[in-house]
Amino acid sequence: MTKPSALGDGNAYREIFFEETQDHLSNVEAILLRLQPGEVALDDLNAIFRAVHSIKGSAAMLGCADMAAMAHLQESLLDLLRKEERPLERGDIDAMLKAGDTVQAQALRHRGILEQAPDSEPAEILLQRQLDRPRTDAKGGGKGPVTRRFAVRLAPLAEPIADAELEMMLTGLGEMGKVSAADIENRPGGYVAFQVELEGTALDLQSVLSLLVAPELVAIEKIEDGPSNAASQAAGGAARKPPADNGDEFFVDPEEFRRRRQTFAKDRAAPATAALVASTPAAPSPAPAPAAGPPAEPAALAPLETGYIRVATEKIDLLVNLVGELVITEAMLSRSGQLGSGAMAQRGLADLARHTRNLQESVLAIRMLPISNVFSRLTRQVHELSARLGKQVDLKFAGEATELDRGLVEKISDPLMHLIRNAIDHGLETPREREAAGKPAAGTLRLRASQRGGKVFIEVSDDGRGLNRASILAQAARRGISVASDAPDALVWPLIFEAGLSTAQQVTDLSGRGVGMDVVRRNIQALGGTVELFSTPGWGTTVTVSVPLTLAIIDAMIVGIGGDSYVLPLASVAESLGIADGHLHALPDQGETLRVRGDYLPVLHLARIFPPRVPPTQPGGIAVIVESDGAYAALIVDALLGQQQVVVKSLEANFRKVPGLSGATVMADGTVAFILDVSHIVRLPGRRAAVAI
Amino acid sequence: MNKSILVVDDTRSMRKMVAAVLAGAGYEVSEAGDGVEALELAATRQFDLVVTDHNMPRMDGVTLVRELRQLPAYDAVALIVLSTEVDPVLKQKGRDAGATGWMAKPFDPERMLDIVAKFI
Repeated sequence: MTKPSALGDGNAYREIFFEETQDHLSNVEAILLRLQPGEVALDDLNAIFRAVHSIKGSAAMLGCADMAAMAHLQESLLDLLRKEERPLERGDIDAMLKAGDTVQAQALRHRGILEQAPDSEPAEILLQRQLDRPRTDAKGGGKGPVTRRFAVRLAPLAEPIADAELEMMLTGLGEMGKVSAADIENRPGGYVAFQVELEGTALDLQSVLSLLVAPELVAIEKIEDGPSNAASQAAGGAARKPPADNGDEFFVDPEEFRRRRQTFAKDRAAPATAALVASTPAAPSPAPAPAAGPPAEPAALAPLETGYIRVATEKIDLLVNLVGELVITEAMLSRSGQLGSGAMAQRGLADLARHTRNLQESVLAIRMLPISNVFSRLTRQVHELSARLGKQVDLKFAGEATELDRGLVEKISDPLMHLIRNAIDHGLETPREREAAGKPAAGTLRLRASQRGGKVFIEVSDDGRGLNRASILAQAARRGISVASDAPDALVWPLIFEAGLSTAQQVTDLSGRGVGMDVVRRNIQALGGTVELFSTPGWGTTVTVSVPLTLAIIDAMIVGIGGDSYVLPLASVAESLGIADGHLHALPDQGETLRVRGDYLPVLHLARIFPPRVPPTQPGGIAVIVESDGAYAALIVDALLGQQQVVVKSLEANFRKVPGLSGATVMADGTVAFILDVSHIVRLPGRRAAVAI
Repeated sequence: MNKSILVVDDTRSMRKMVAAVLAGAGYEVSEAGDGVEALELAATRQFDLVVTDHNMPRMDGVTLVRELRQLPAYDAVALIVLSTEVDPVLKQKGRDAGATGWMAKPFDPERMLDIVAKFI
């Protein structure tokens, strides 16, 4: 049996620790953002306490003393709040948010991601200020100074404390309050433990003690007052029971323990005595605890650890890919008909098809995350933004359980944040303006997610002032966009998606530089989604973003040219129409155009962009009108081969980036078809360039 | 056969550290993420010693100790609480519930092994 000298390589645990710290911090943040000042939310405070407590314990083990110290300070504040010494204040929430940020930065520093250790002082100051707030002694209501009792433990001592110093400390504390139950093992690795009753806070005590020993050695726990505690103190208090070495405490002597166990083993049949823990003689089994041990606390935070495992995304992507292959193989088998026409083969194929679909659905579901992941990130921003802008915002969520692909979760946060900034900065009025308009001082910002068909809709709506129609029209006119002044709203609102248009009266550091909504729209469109906006002056604005459920599978139109097939994302197909000779016009200096309901669209021949292996004998007879970011073009192809969902495979990952192609997919017959990058194709510089390719 | 130990802690890093120290010394170690899970495990097999955190969701360590002590199979098994909390009142509760000992976190691996060796 080899005895490890220490923990060995702590790095393995550090990674786990940092990961769980991250989890803890984001859970804590979510709770903090939900809490309202004045609220009594013991479950929430307990949940936060547990998280902070966990961080503290492991941090101390893993040599992250700064994190442990910050967590300790948070704990002190939480403890005070849990004991309802005063109601929860905005300052408490802010201090704890700040502390969370600091711990996060400290963790990043320990991981070597941050170059410098963060300054923990601002958080410390905030926390201490909250700790020092006067108590509104809710219970008792006594006016006089409140005394508290603390159990103090200094351990482990690196070296003995000089007697004189120890004397001084205890005397000093004795002057502050009443010191009792002192238990001192003043030697290296030893401890100093005592109880003290005084008028100050744990923090006061801490600051006195840290004059003498390093703060991380100091553990202070507040002792609840009350008869039952006093009794148990008397019954088994620290004074009567000298703790074992190093401050750890044994309630049973090891020798005694062994002897009893042997006796026990001999007559196992005899009624088991509960008196194994000998020093509380024949303690009747404690208060009949609820029978089967129902959870000691409501499951506020319970589902977090249980029932989930962490898996690297690459593993899931690999699985998604393999299932994609399986789907294709299945389709090939079903189509070939080579398996014979026997009933067995038919039934086998049908089963295979069904299982494959189910498997595909389940695997794709692994990648899905509830949108609450996005919302919770935004909450924090809303909190800060509204504080900075002096607006009151009542943030409301609906449909947080709506799921979307994790790739989208990453990508949709920024555009949503932009919309939210706009809503708070420009949409919502200041409390005074709102009251003048007869609205509640706090504006409502609503985020609503829902799923319909293969799409996820996310609505960002505010009850602010709404868009200024006249201002939009004026700006559009300045930018040379002509819109009739009596155009319906439905035509006016989309103008704010045009580059350079802003309705902000003044440019703030947050938004309103006129590079807002167009960027939002472009980002959303890049995800295969759309943005719509609806506004009622005086009543607010609603922006609806829709994105596909997943990026791994797209709805596509398959087009043929020569003998080859290409895939067009359905989201970028506006319409398709048959063309005959004479429909294409060659305008001087402009190449070919196709006239569609009065508009002349540039014409792109797919056969010239990607010449097919078998050159077509005659020009294609079908025009597919494609659109990207407001630019339209007519793509000439031979045939429309149908619509279907395709599994997107990255070309860059498997081959290299090819201009004009955004990816590839494997068709049901096993051949590879390329997915056309419409945003690139419509930007091919004019007709001649297209010809020149 | 190696002696078996159940390590209970909701903090994965802490649990892994305790488990690694014990496994490194040749004990067979099982892990549980909270009191409820620990009780379920303890009902399916006999452990020779249990090291448990106190502050855990669903069921805390002291409650776990109390529950385990009511199982005849765990009447004579050492149950050690390993916690950052060292409040004498809480310790007393642990003792009343039937804990064999109380160790403070952060723990010294050597010392943990000494203690475990004494009680297993």
